[in-house]
Amino acid sequence: MDKKPLLQVRNLKTYFYTEDGIVKAVDGVDFEVYPGETLGIVGESGSGKSVTSLSILRLLDPNGEILEGSEIIFDGKNLMELSEDEMRKIRGNDIAMIFQEPMVALNPVFTVGEQIMEAILLHQDVSKNEARKMAIDMLRKVGIPEPEKRVDEYPHELSGGMRQRAMIAMALSCRPKLLIADEPTTALDVTIQAQILELMRELQKEYGMAIILITHDVGVIAENADRVVVMYGGMVMETADVKELFRETRHPYTWGLLNSIPRLDIEQERLYNIPGIVPDPLHFPPGCRFNTRCEFADERCRKEIPPLYEIKNGHFSRCFYYKKVEEAQKLKKAGESA
Amino acid sequence: MSEKRVLVKVDNLVKYFPIRAGVFKRIVAWVRAVDDVSFEIYEGETVGLVGESGCGKTTVGMTLLRLYEPTSGRIIVDNEDTTFYFMPKFKAKKYLQKTYIEKFKKEDPSSFTGIDKKYYDLYKELGESGFYNKLLSELNEKKSEFRKTMQIVFQDPYSSLNPRIRIKTIVSEGPVLHKVIKKSEVIDKVKAALEEVGIHGDHMYRFPHQFSGGQRQRIGIARSLLMNPKLIVADEAVAALDVSIRSQVINLMLDLQKKHNLTYLFISHDLSVIKYMSDRVIVMYLGKIVENASKKELFDEPLHPYTRALMSAIPVPNPDYKKKRIILKGDVPSPVNPPSGCRFHPRCPVAKEICSKEEPQLREVKPGHFVACHFPGSLK
Repeated sequence: MDKKPLLQVRNLKTYFYTEDGIVKAVDGVDFEVYPGETLGIVGESGSGKSVTSLSILRLLDPNGEILEGSEIIFDGKNLMELSEDEMRKIRGNDIAMIFQEPMVALNPVFTVGEQIMEAILLHQDVSKNEARKMAIDMLRKVGIPEPEKRVDEYPHELSGGMRQRAMIAMALSCRPKLLIADEPTTALDVTIQAQILELMRELQKEYGMAIILITHDVGVIAENADRVVVMYGGMVMETADVKELFRETRHPYTWGLLNSIPRLDIEQERLYNIPGIVPDPLHFPPGCRFNTRCEFADERCRKEIPPLYEIKNGHFSRCFYYKKVEEAQKLKKAGESA
Repeated sequence: MSEKRVLVKVDNLVKYFPIRAGVFKRIVAWVRAVDDVSFEIYEGETVGLVGESGCGKTTVGMTLLRLYEPTSGRIIVDNEDTTFYFMPKFKAKKYLQKTYIEKFKKEDPSSFTGIDKKYYDLYKELGESGFYNKLLSELNEKKSEFRKTMQIVFQDPYSSLNPRIRIKTIVSEGPVLHKVIKKSEVIDKVKAALEEVGIHGDHMYRFPHQFSGGQRQRIGIARSLLMNPKLIVADEAVAALDVSIRSQVINLMLDLQKKHNLTYLFISHDLSVIKYMSDRVIVMYLGKIVENASKKELFDEPLHPYTRALMSAIPVPNPDYKKKRIILKGDVPSPVNPPSGCRFHPRCPVAKEICSKEEPQLREVKPGHFVACHFPGSLK
C-alpha cells in the first residue's frame, strides 16, 4: 500500500498497576489504519483489544499508564505528546468512538438530542437551533423513524437497536476521520446486528471515514473488515488482509480460533479444541504468550517471544513455526476435497 | 421417527406474566411470553430452540422445568401428565377434572390416544374418585422423580454457582437431597463427576471464584449430570464463554450425550451453535413457534421468512462466502401488545393483507417439517 496511513500505532504498551501486580494489558502492539478502510481487531476477553482502543483516545483508568516509547500518530500528530486540552479537541471530532452497551454509554438524564447537540456545539461553530437541526438530520440518517419526535426522548425510551443508532448518530455528528467501534453489536440481537452493521457500511461509504472494528466475533470480521489484527495476551499474533487471513492462516492461534467456531456455511464433523484456558494477564507465560495452548510449541517458544515475521506483503505472523500451520492447512484442504 | 420414544410432550403451553401497577398492584396488562406452543422431544435427541431476545425461548425452558408454573397447557413427561405436580391439591383436582374427567364423559373413548387413553383406562378401572386418589397420591415422590428426570445448565456460570460454598457441596446438594447418592458416597461420586467433565477431582474443595468461566460451566454440567437426568435444558449454556472455550464445552456436552444417552433442549440465540448441536430445530418468534423441522430440512430449505432472515443475519466467518442479505426492518414488537394476525407481519418482507388479519397455524408442510406461515417458502 502506498497510501499514507491515517493512524499509526507503534510499540504501544499499556500497563495497569493493581494491588496484585502489573497487568500488561497491551504489550508492544503495532498497526496502521489507512483512510477509508475498516480494520478489524479480533480477540478473546483479556486479549487487550479494548485497552488498545481506549489507549488511542487516552481514556484509561487512573491506574493505567501508556509507557514511554509508545507512539500513536494520527494524521501526522503524535497523540502521546498532546496536552489534555488538545486531546479533547480530537476526541469526538476527529476520532469518535461507539461502545458495546449503549445504555451505559448514553447519559440517562439528558435527551438523545441534547447529547448529540453537546458534541456538535463543542466542536463546531453553530447556533443552538442549527445544532438541533443537525441532530435531527443525523438521527434521520441513522434510520431512526420520526426523528423530530425522537430527538426529545430519553435513552430509556428507545430500544437497544435504536440506542445504538443514536450512539452512531452522536459519533458521526462531527464527521470524524476515524471511528472506533468497540463491540458495537455484541449486546444486540442478530437481526438488529445485521441492521447496524449495514448502516455502518453505508455511512462509511458516504462519509469515507476509517473504522476500527473491535469484536470477538470472527464472522463479523469476515463480513466487515478489510484488514484484520488478531490479538492474544496483549500482543498482535497475526495481521493480514481479511481474505488472506482466512485463506492463508499462518498462526496457530488464528488457526485454532477459525476451526473452533460452529459455522453455517459448511458441515462440520467435530469442532477443534484449543486446549487449556486463556492465561491470566497477571501471569503470562514466558516466551510466546500462546505457548501453553499451542500444538507446535517447543523449548524455544517457552523462552523467546517470537518476532512478527513478514510472510508476504502486509501479512505478519508472530510464530516461529508458521510454516507448520501452512502444512496443517494444506492437509485440511486436501482432506476436505477428498 | 416413529420408533423413537417421546420423552417430553408439550401441549398448548401458555405462560403470561402479569404487569402490576398502582397502589394496590392491580394487574394492568399481561406479557404474553409464551403463547400456545406445542412440541415434542424424543429420547436421545437434541432439540435446538432458537430465537431472539424476548421470543420466549427461555420461558419455555423454565416452564418445562417448572421453575415457572404454566398459565395453561399440558406438559407430559415419560408418558405421565406432570402439569398438576406442583399445584396445591384442590387446584390439581380441578385441573384433572377439567382436562380429563369432563372429556371422558363427553367424548367417544375410541378417539383417545396416548396419555388420554392411558388415563381413560385408569378412570374406567378405578372410577372417578379412585382416579383422583391414584393420581394425587405420592405427589412428593412424583415431584422428586420429576426433578431427577430434568435438569438445567444455566447461561451465566458466574451467577449460577453459590460463591460461599465449596464445589463438593454445590455438586452434591441436589443428588443427596433427592437420594440419588448416599451421603457416604459423596466424595467418590463428586470426584468421578468432576473428572468426567474435565476438572481435577481434588479441586472439589475449592470455591467457585477459583475457577475460570469455562471451568465453572463444566462444574454446572457436573452438577446436573450427577442427578442422572434424562433431559438437560441448556439455556444459552455457551453464550457467555470465549470462542476458544466455547468449542471445548460444546464438544464435552456432545460426548456426555453419547455416553449417557442424554436428551438436550438446547436454547440459544446463535443459529450456528444450534446447527452444530441439534438434531431438530424449533424457531420461535414473539411467543410462538414459527418453524419446527429436522436440522437438515431447516437449514437446506427454511420455509418461514423469519427463519430465512435469521439465517442471513448470522455473520459467516468466511470472506469468500457470498450470501444474500435479508435485512429485516424495525425492532421486535413488545410481547405485551403483539401484532394482530401473524406476529411477524410488520417486519416480514413478503407479508400480504391476510397476514395482518389471520393468524397462521403451525402446520405440517412436508413430513416432519412444521411451519406457521400463510406463504411458506415465498421469501427466496
